[in-house]
Amino acid sequence: MTSPSSPLADIPNLLRCETTPREAALAKAAEMTHAVYPHDAVYGQFCTVQDYIDCPPEDVFDYLADLRNLDEWTYSTRHFEPVDDSGLHQGWDTLADDTRIYAKVVANREALTVDYHCAWDQGDELWMIYLNRIIPAELVLKKPGTVLVWTNCRHPYYDDNPNKHLVSDPDRVWVGDMWPLFYAGHRAELDNLKAILEYRHARGIPVTGHVVREGVSA
Amino acid sequence: MTTPVSLVDLGSALPEAKVATDFYRGADAVLDDSVMFKSPKYRRHIGPEETAADLIVRAARPVLERAKEHGDGPVDLLITNVLLPDLPFTGAGAEVAHRLGQRPEWVLDVHNGGCVSFVYMLKLARQIMQSGGARTALLCNVQNSAGQVFTQPTIRTKSHAPVPGDGCGIGYLRVGDESPVLDVEVRQYVEYATDVGLAFDDDRKYWQPGLSEMDVSFTDSKVAKIIGRGNQLVPEVVTALCDRIGVRTPDIDVLVTNQPNRMFLRNWREALQLKPERHLDTFEEYGNLFGAAVPITLHEAVTDGRVNPGDLLVLAGFAHAGDMAGAAAVRWRADAA
Repeated sequence: MTSPSSPLADIPNLLRCETTPREAALAKAAEMTHAVYPHDAVYGQFCTVQDYIDCPPEDVFDYLADLRNLDEWTYSTRHFEPVDDSGLHQGWDTLADDTRIYAKVVANREALTVDYHCAWDQGDELWMIYLNRIIPAELVLKKPGTVLVWTNCRHPYYDDNPNKHLVSDPDRVWVGDMWPLFYAGHRAELDNLKAILEYRHARGIPVTGHVVREGVSA
Repeated sequence: MTTPVSLVDLGSALPEAKVATDFYRGADAVLDDSVMFKSPKYRRHIGPEETAADLIVRAARPVLERAKEHGDGPVDLLITNVLLPDLPFTGAGAEVAHRLGQRPEWVLDVHNGGCVSFVYMLKLARQIMQSGGARTALLCNVQNSAGQVFTQPTIRTKSHAPVPGDGCGIGYLRVGDESPVLDVEVRQYVEYATDVGLAFDDDRKYWQPGLSEMDVSFTDSKVAKIIGRGNQLVPEVVTALCDRIGVRTPDIDVLVTNQPNRMFLRNWREALQLKPERHLDTFEEYGNLFGAAVPITLHEAVTDGRVNPGDLLVLAGFAHAGDMAGAAAVRWRADAA
């Protein structure tokens, strides 16, 4: 039993073995376990996609850490160029007409994390953040290769663009309007990423440094 | 063109003894706050001298009366599934047939199929009838462990003891297309056969002398797996069946499954995208009726007018720890629609 003096005594609804017997905890767990989950319950506030990629984690890191490669594996972001020497880049997002996307890579080779801090239309507040965690599959699946976990969180700007004044066309689609399709879009892009990396790794081709700027115009 | 076979009638018999949860009041109290796992309010207990055959005879008589009025001859095929056979080396079929004044060409006592045995018996019967082996069939399901196994002094205080309830359900089949069985899908997952068994404190065989009381138990380590399995198996088999007959699962008018607990009922309904009123539920009143749940639950709904001519009925469930799963589709009283 949790004693009245416990630092947890006043915190309600904790599920701990001291206060909930195993059988009741199992019942609670079973209650929480459904056969299916509504899309919104899973992807409404957070959107995580993940997969195994048959390519070494260091190569996956190098590929993801280079913004130019987004031209290859994303559906719509193209032609990133440095804006200045701060690491800020600008490119095009072809999801909408005449739309600039600003991005900065925040990567940590030791931790094998590659995050993209992005925004549409302006580079002062990079609020649209793509979190990528690269995990050696040897650790978690006992096989060579990589597990990639990619998460987006539903920042309030997805629902309300605070910079409407920067958009000349009032009918232009807003990135947040597409949140219900993020799972599908990100899943498809992760499929692209996996296909490219696995193709090159299987054939001994260097995974990065291939970008050919194809004819995408604003 | 295969011979059509119809599920034309149902019957049920419930033991007199209606037992409230306070009869047990043992380890199940720990689950009182659980929406899904608190004990069902009521269940029936088979009487100390009541046999499976007694229940079947009681349930079958009105069904056979109606069959006779319809002009049917004697029953050609009798299939029983009894959870706890009164005699371990013979089934109830022959005694039932005799007491009902029948001498069927086929008497089959099937001892597998557990909670989905009604669907399995339906598949068996339909196969035999389509081959010309029988014109009429009586399918009999008895659950009789609640008043016998789960009332024993050391068993009745366990948390799972209040869940089972006793009862008998009957289905009657006739060759013809008046209420046709559209299709049946049964899947065997034989690898799960040993995940449920009997438990005795002193590990004796059930037939050996001793003081320990018999319990039915799922392997502890498998409970989570069985939950996952159950969540998956029934929606899968129903979806496969619906695909084959060309309907979407939300178009099922009446779904009748086994009634193991509220969680599975909720999850199956959700997975098949059915409104609660489309999924019949007798759990609160009768507890877990095992194999008898499908025919009893359907019979009550038919009797209460909750099943309409032309309705697409789907009967489904899974057995034991998942060693069999099945679903059958019936166009209820298609001829009257």
